[in-house]
Amino acid sequence: MDPLDLDLINDLLEGEAYLKERIREQSGEFEKKTRIMTSTLDKVHSTPKSEIPALLETVRPVFHSCQEITATLAETIPPDELWKWKELWTTPLRAAVFSVVFACFLTDGTLAPLVAVAEKIGIREEWNDRFSLTPEDYLHGVITLINELSRLAVNAVTLGDFEAPLRISVFAKEVFTGFSMLNLKNDLLRRRFDSLKYDIKKIEEVVYDVSLRKLVPSPTETPMGESHG
Amino acid sequence: MMTTISSTFEPFREHLDEHHDRRDCLIKVNRDISAASKKVIFLLQRILNDASNDDHVLSLRAATEAKKKLAEIHTMLRSIAHELVGPRFWRYAHSISSGLQEYIEALSFVHYVEHGRLISYERVQETLCDDTGQHLFPLPLSDYVLGICDLTGELMRLAISSISRPNGRMKASQISLFVRGCKADFETLTPYIHDLHKKQAVTVQSLRKVEEAIYAIAIRSSEYELSPPMLDHIVSQVVSGGTEPSEEPDPPSRQKRLGDIQGPRQ
Repeated sequence: MDPLDLDLINDLLEGEAYLKERIREQSGEFEKKTRIMTSTLDKVHSTPKSEIPALLETVRPVFHSCQEITATLAETIPPDELWKWKELWTTPLRAAVFSVVFACFLTDGTLAPLVAVAEKIGIREEWNDRFSLTPEDYLHGVITLINELSRLAVNAVTLGDFEAPLRISVFAKEVFTGFSMLNLKNDLLRRRFDSLKYDIKKIEEVVYDVSLRKLVPSPTETPMGESHG
Repeated sequence: MMTTISSTFEPFREHLDEHHDRRDCLIKVNRDISAASKKVIFLLQRILNDASNDDHVLSLRAATEAKKKLAEIHTMLRSIAHELVGPRFWRYAHSISSGLQEYIEALSFVHYVEHGRLISYERVQETLCDDTGQHLFPLPLSDYVLGICDLTGELMRLAISSISRPNGRMKASQISLFVRGCKADFETLTPYIHDLHKKQAVTVQSLRKVEEAIYAIAIRSSEYELSPPMLDHIVSQVVSGGTEPSEEPDPPSRQKRLGDIQGPRQ
């Protein structure tokens, strides 16, 4: 090879390696934040219903602090190279999505839409060729939410909140219906979607247990509020 | 709430369907590009083994024929460019990577046959342009390097198959020099490119085959004080004795080659 050509290729590859290292560092920072979020939200499983709003208040500043990291990442990644580097931050991004949709569900029982989630972690629309929240990452976060809710259904009952499983059950089934609308190929998303039925089964078992013992009003009278709307 | 969640998922269905359709389409074209590139390589090997007195003329003919086929691949590449605009290229880069590497192997082979040199990264990128000179998409460095690695295997085949021809030994030693150069140059790139070390190992094997063939001839020619045509004859005997690792043993053409050696050159 012409020495000049070889130098050129070497320089380009070294530049890429340097960039990758920087993205990896920032992604590591991002991951630290998401660890704080998930560990804080994990307390939900042992927090009485009345104290949940206060708990959610404590994660809010952490969501906000992600904005700085996402902005740095967007600045680091060259134009059009979103998919070249995306894998490096997939884990923290999906974890962040999960935390945001979980907090949203705990706040008002709804599924936060993609745009709202992206906004919460400070991802701007104009970065969509460099750093963006793709539907795939969002959907992975939503599946993690359902996994988590099947656990919450159990723990809420333990804490004496017998209506929580009913709300969770309605919500999880709607999300499942949403996923059923998608034509998924044989990939990770598909496999994780397939696993949702076990979560739903678990939730139904809890609903059955509380109904059987008449710990909740019969289904026709259940005050599910906006869940039925 | 039912309506909210379904309306949340509705755009995802479109997004995923579009993505899967696009990827399927690209995978199909990728396969076509691979197949067409392999044909270019076979064509070159075939023509370069044709009977001829003038290697230069033969090389030019091979390059000209191959370029016609390469033009078909350019058309295919241009046909998918609109699916690879902006950030999309990197999303589907791995779907077309194998075809791209095969194309680079074919293109660099043609370039070697014509110029006796390695085609540069920039030159390859130039072939991936539309009529206005705009790049169709950025050429990944890894595809360039890995494509060239595959070239070394083809050159090994060429060196072995032409070693029994007039000038074959010179050609083989040129090739061994060239392949040795590639191997040395790529050594520094291995930490950056995934799987390059595996290809490097294959290159070493190819190199050894060529080196051993050249050695077999050198050791025998030292025993005799023979004229080059006689050596050519002995060489062809040795090669047909089983050291040739060529994939397609082709007795009629070998006879043709022998005839060629005994023919006008004597």
